[in-house]
Amino acid sequence: MKALFFHAEKCVGCKLCHLACSSQNEQVFNPRLARLKITSCYDRNGLTVEGKTCDLCMSCVESCPVDAIVEKNGRLAFDEDLCTDCGLCVDICPHEVIVGKDRGIGVCVQCRSCVNWCPTEALTFEEVNK
Amino acid sequence: MAYTGNILRVNLSTGKAVKEKLNENWAKDYLGGKGLAIKYLYEELKPGLDPWSEDNKLILMTGPLTGTIAPNTGKLAVAAKSPATGTILDCSIGGHFAPELKYAGYDAVIIEGKAKVPVYLYLEDDQLELRSAAGLWGKGAHETEHSIAETLGDVVTLAIGQAGENLLPFACISSELYRQAGRGGIGAVMGSKNLKAISVRGTGGLKIPDIRKVSMALNKIKREDTMDEENMWAYTDGTPMIVELSQTTGILPTRNFQEGTFEGHENVDSEAVKGVLRAKKACFACPLACGNYVEKGKSRVEGPEYETLALCSSNCGIDDLEAVIEFNRLCDDYCLDTISAGNAVAFAMELTEKGIHDFGIRFGDIDKYLQMPWLISNREGIGAELAEGVSSMADKFGGKDFAMHVKKLEIPGYEPRGSWSMGLAYGTSDRGACHLRAWPAAVEAFGDLDPFTIEGKAELVKDMQDDNSVKFSAIFCDFWAISTGRMAEILSIFLEREVTAEELTTIGERVYNLARLFNEREGFTRKDDYLPRRIYDEKLTTGKTSGKNLPFEEYEKMLSEYYALRGWDEKGIITEAKKKALNL
Repeated sequence: MKALFFHAEKCVGCKLCHLACSSQNEQVFNPRLARLKITSCYDRNGLTVEGKTCDLCMSCVESCPVDAIVEKNGRLAFDEDLCTDCGLCVDICPHEVIVGKDRGIGVCVQCRSCVNWCPTEALTFEEVNK
Repeated sequence: MAYTGNILRVNLSTGKAVKEKLNENWAKDYLGGKGLAIKYLYEELKPGLDPWSEDNKLILMTGPLTGTIAPNTGKLAVAAKSPATGTILDCSIGGHFAPELKYAGYDAVIIEGKAKVPVYLYLEDDQLELRSAAGLWGKGAHETEHSIAETLGDVVTLAIGQAGENLLPFACISSELYRQAGRGGIGAVMGSKNLKAISVRGTGGLKIPDIRKVSMALNKIKREDTMDEENMWAYTDGTPMIVELSQTTGILPTRNFQEGTFEGHENVDSEAVKGVLRAKKACFACPLACGNYVEKGKSRVEGPEYETLALCSSNCGIDDLEAVIEFNRLCDDYCLDTISAGNAVAFAMELTEKGIHDFGIRFGDIDKYLQMPWLISNREGIGAELAEGVSSMADKFGGKDFAMHVKKLEIPGYEPRGSWSMGLAYGTSDRGACHLRAWPAAVEAFGDLDPFTIEGKAELVKDMQDDNSVKFSAIFCDFWAISTGRMAEILSIFLEREVTAEELTTIGERVYNLARLFNEREGFTRKDDYLPRRIYDEKLTTGKTSGKNLPFEEYEKMLSEYYALRGWDEKGIITEAKKKALNL
């Protein structure tokens, strides 16, 4: 099974991954709707780079009471018709990368737009248990 | 959606804000960024206005591509009438502020009036708060940003330091600690309004038709054009690579422009900076990541950029990288423009060494040099004199012929005697000596053209000024050497109409002429388009520029040729025919 991996030492903080994800999956340029969270900020300690991506831990699949999120061939799939907007998956995701929306949610479906846009290979798509 | 169609107008005197419609006709003629900001200022500022008065306006202007995935479009134009020069002033600042403003639902913010007490603005989508800056006043921009982030969370902030509060004509605005709207005292305009910072959080987004298809097409452009060999220097080196180029070609300003080469250049060149590099850093939507986050000793900074290395290192006779990094950090924190600060310190050093006035600081004196940012920003000791800039210092103490400025704006890091086109670029820049309106050194001193002739230089400078004007109005970063055709291709997608390269060239020319018209209205003419006498009268003595000056008669000829090409008369006044042709 393959998933996204983030390499902080290569990240330059351009947010192109966020834009790639939101335009591909939500048809809008809005970094806050990206299904990953990459931050690169200066704080009192200097430069802090952090990345959160879906690693297929399956917490959302296991928590969904109506099976609206399922795993199919190593990818997550979401069925909006089944979703009851209970919000459990959003709360339980340990990486906070499930986007809550007015109707339904957004999970990483491994479209790899973020990987394709990343200019520095800070995001890669690799075997989970290699 | 290229524009949100909204402008937020904030009056600090009354504490009231109104949301108004973007002037669509102006947006068509001037696009956004530099051009549109200048248009608003030209229409709204009374001629002869005192730039320190509360009637001056500070404009934050995005562009039609801001917030989208189009590469290298994340910068913000910040404009006002300059308190340093009395000219129009537009600056460009990177980081992540511009897209956040657009996501909040605005193309621009126009700030008017003056708050009774220090305040900062907090804008989140439709909500605007004027908050007390009592606890922040007197603090550096860095502490201000940290403190606001601790209160408001993940906002993006523009802030001023002590230099802006103390109304220095070369106070800048900082964002994300190390990005600056640098020149012409733009930070002092904020200070004069009692405005310490502007923080924004925008939660909305931008939609366009066929967004997936557009993103795929832009990714191809990013890979094949933006990230091609011509531009990747920004990632591999960043601007410090220019140190070696300038040294080799003899145009590295050294000891207040007395020489064009520096014996200590290897201590402060790109290889030296790479030696202390910790991470590369980009602005929003930029794959080139020119920023170098460095740490040396106890100091850290995103930088130093070439201009800082030239003006604050070689030009001050300082070859200690750690000292330059610390000087840079202090300038960023207090919000001093490093080009002007480096010039002021170097000028004081030369005046001292020549026995004209004893400032007690000499070339290469690291201890005194490191005291300068604080003293200047707070107008303490000799800092009180340096804080006024080199033009005022020369008026008071002498040394006018080697006070290195044009229109009272200090000269950047390219010695005009070894790059005659840069001389013309400085002389005819709309905000005083600036290397960004046109950077002909790239193809001349650093390229194939003969740097010691005026032949073809007027046309070169004019064309570059027009190209950059449209580039900074559409808001593409300077560091993507994008063709006008490529700009037209991308703008056509987002403006949803056919934009041609010819149309863009005309817009660029219109923007540059409107800036000139603003300055003309303020009384600027040919008499103001000259360089310090040192450039004409003194010959350089080292390296490739040894024995070179830029003879005054040659400069005169080049200037006249430039005016003729521009459609301006011999006095540098825009002819009626040119105004009509450009719809001014």
